[in-house]
Amino acid sequence: MAEPVLRLEAVQKHFPPNIVAVEHATLDVRSGEVHCLLGANGAGKSTLLKIIAGALAPSAGTLFLEGRPFAPRSPAEAARSGISMIYQELDLVPQMTVEENLLLGHAPTRFGFVRRAERRSRALDALERVGAGFSPTQRVETLSVANQQLTAIARSLTMEAKVIIMDEPSAALNETELERVFKIIRELTAQGVAIVYVSHRMGELREIGNRVTVLRGGRTIGTFAMADTSDEALVEAVIGRQRSLIERKERGAVSGGVALEVKRMTGDQGLDIGGLTVRWGEIVGLTGLNGSGRTSFLRRLFGSEPFVGEVLLDGRPHRPRHPGDAIDAGFGLVPENRKTEGLILDAPIYKNAMLPALRKSLLVSHSGQKIEAEPALKKLSTKYGWLEQPVVNLSGGNQQKVVLARWMINGARVLLLDEPSRGLDIGAKADLYALVERLAEEGAAVIIASSELDELYAACDTIWALHEGRNIARYNPSATDRETILKATILGESNVTH
Amino acid sequence: MSPTEAAAYAAPAERAGPGRRMVNLVIEYNFIAIFLIVVAIAASLSPNFLTFTNIANLFQQASVVGIVAIGMTFVILTGNIDLSVGSLVALMGMIVAVLLHSGYPPIVAVLVTLAAGTALGAVMGATTALARVPSFIITLAGLVSFRGLTYLMTDGVPVSGLAPGFAALSSTMVPVLPGFSVASMGIIFVGLCVLAGLVLRFTAFGEYVYATGGNPEAARLSGLPTRFIVTAVFAISGLSAALGGILLTSRLRIGQPTAAQGLELDAIAAVVLGGTSLFGGRGSILGTFFAVMLLQVLRNIFNLLGLGSFYQMTVTGVVIVAAILLNTMIDRRRGRA
Repeated sequence: MAEPVLRLEAVQKHFPPNIVAVEHATLDVRSGEVHCLLGANGAGKSTLLKIIAGALAPSAGTLFLEGRPFAPRSPAEAARSGISMIYQELDLVPQMTVEENLLLGHAPTRFGFVRRAERRSRALDALERVGAGFSPTQRVETLSVANQQLTAIARSLTMEAKVIIMDEPSAALNETELERVFKIIRELTAQGVAIVYVSHRMGELREIGNRVTVLRGGRTIGTFAMADTSDEALVEAVIGRQRSLIERKERGAVSGGVALEVKRMTGDQGLDIGGLTVRWGEIVGLTGLNGSGRTSFLRRLFGSEPFVGEVLLDGRPHRPRHPGDAIDAGFGLVPENRKTEGLILDAPIYKNAMLPALRKSLLVSHSGQKIEAEPALKKLSTKYGWLEQPVVNLSGGNQQKVVLARWMINGARVLLLDEPSRGLDIGAKADLYALVERLAEEGAAVIIASSELDELYAACDTIWALHEGRNIARYNPSATDRETILKATILGESNVTH
Repeated sequence: MSPTEAAAYAAPAERAGPGRRMVNLVIEYNFIAIFLIVVAIAASLSPNFLTFTNIANLFQQASVVGIVAIGMTFVILTGNIDLSVGSLVALMGMIVAVLLHSGYPPIVAVLVTLAAGTALGAVMGATTALARVPSFIITLAGLVSFRGLTYLMTDGVPVSGLAPGFAALSSTMVPVLPGFSVASMGIIFVGLCVLAGLVLRFTAFGEYVYATGGNPEAARLSGLPTRFIVTAVFAISGLSAALGGILLTSRLRIGQPTAAQGLELDAIAAVVLGGTSLFGGRGSILGTFFAVMLLQVLRNIFNLLGLGSFYQMTVTGVVIVAAILLNTMIDRRRGRA
């Protein structure tokens, strides 16, 4: 067997005062393979990736690049040595053009002046290798997320990358866009480039991965060939005990009356939703490609943006002018991005949980806030050290529970969840959906928007497919197979009229 | 001094025994430790430093910048900045002088001036919040225009001959301890610190301010009136600048259009030195109070030693950088940065 292009031996990383992020990690990546990295939140994946990319120095252990010890002091040095990292939030400069981004930091120059013609030809080269259909003079902010992803990949190619690390590239892509990225990955591996691919989505790993290394609690559990390892075995390696993947559990028929009736709602970018109802105790899923209007629909229901049309809550008109109105009407929103929209990361857990409840008071009692926050957090079985801990220290799943607890405390009856499972590991996802189910059983009306059809399929009583801003089809998941729904979201085939 | 609103948003690094917690407390409130060290150095350098007269002087001299810095703390906690306060202090000082000069009773002149300062602040805040223009630009425009207005009012001529009763507002000596009296403006400054500290720590509005600075979008999606909050903190800053201007005119006994040049930078320096993050969401009035006093002590000790203000300016800059570096280091050690 050939020498692996990248090898990690007994790598360790701790942060003062007493956090051990990576305890003992080993990894070997061969050229021309897609090597997947799998692990629960907090398993140490991100830290390990940063070490490989030169953004962090390991506390102990050695990295080898093509057999030689390798200790990059900065991401730039790692990039020059042929290791390129594509972060989840792509590190491109949105205001600059594609070609400027592609060669940012290593543009061809003469006496300090950029040689524009050479830059153009090198940019075109790299764009061609990734099969990009856009011009190098376009500004990055005008590109779709998928095309930005391709730009980021092309950028690694301009640096002669031997190893490209991709951190959850699929998080912001829809299925067709992801197919394109996969195609590029296959071409690159055929050219001998190694890809380190991080994702929670098992289906993706199966499709693209050759081998997979599982991390748990900062330790490498093992490296497996993708083809001869079952899903159950991988999940077991990830969470350390047998636990079934999210499976559809049939629930009894929903008996509650109509809670929310969207007769017609129109808004920017072609949003046009009509004839959508949610009953008390019902879980309604919204699926659709990116840009299909899921987020924009939920944000309008929540009063965050204006809409035209008629929406009834309990038979009375619902016309929120701002989120405060919707909150008073009993709505709660778990926004798409918990870090930028959901939480005040530096603030203590209980402050975050008590944020909307503040509106009802003039004076605050800190002990009173803690007393009120604690049972809600406990009820959602949130794991935390102590209430004053900054919420940033919690794992993704527990952070999401703090956002949910906020609405429990506020007595929300209509819950809007926008991509609630993004970035959560398999265990935390199952936990979250079990919780949502319990809340629905207690009478809450729930709408979940998600790009993960599997999850909606498992959890929802009704699934709506959204396509280009319209709710085109309604399905009962117990009577429909996944492929039908998936097809509707991509092709826009309708089964309702409005 | 008020209880510590800093504690509300800063957790100790870990749960530990009393010794460890003591160390954490010292690290958290390191600005107090720095202040005490500087005081000790000052006391050892000059026998005149720790006298009642000198301490009373310190409070009186710190009060105008200090009051403005309180308003600035609210603004910076929301992640904004107010560059207009120096000019606003001068403008308000002139307005109160002109009103008094025209024969209005002091109480009317003061109330009108306070209302004007609050209104100007609110307008800047509302412009920032509603039009989504960075507050840096809006208040930079305020800095220029308010100074211009100040000169326009009297063609740049100072206004003198104010009612003698008006001087009493700033200079009445209030006995604090036997043999120790502080001018009323110093008392007003300390009183406002306590009040502002209580507002930030114990009112929903205070929490709104921290939340808006910590993550505006999360605050908005939690139903908090973030645009109102931004308007309100600028109104508070305008109010405190008006009060600063009134006290300054009262102490100088003339309305001086060139007064308070560069005061905004002193106020911002104090707020940041006191540990308030320029990105918003973290900080306290307690820190601002100690930083204002620290800067005043530095000024004072150079005067007592008979060294010119050139030395004082140089050393002040060095102290600010050193304190900020220390805080950054502590943050990093805790894995916060």
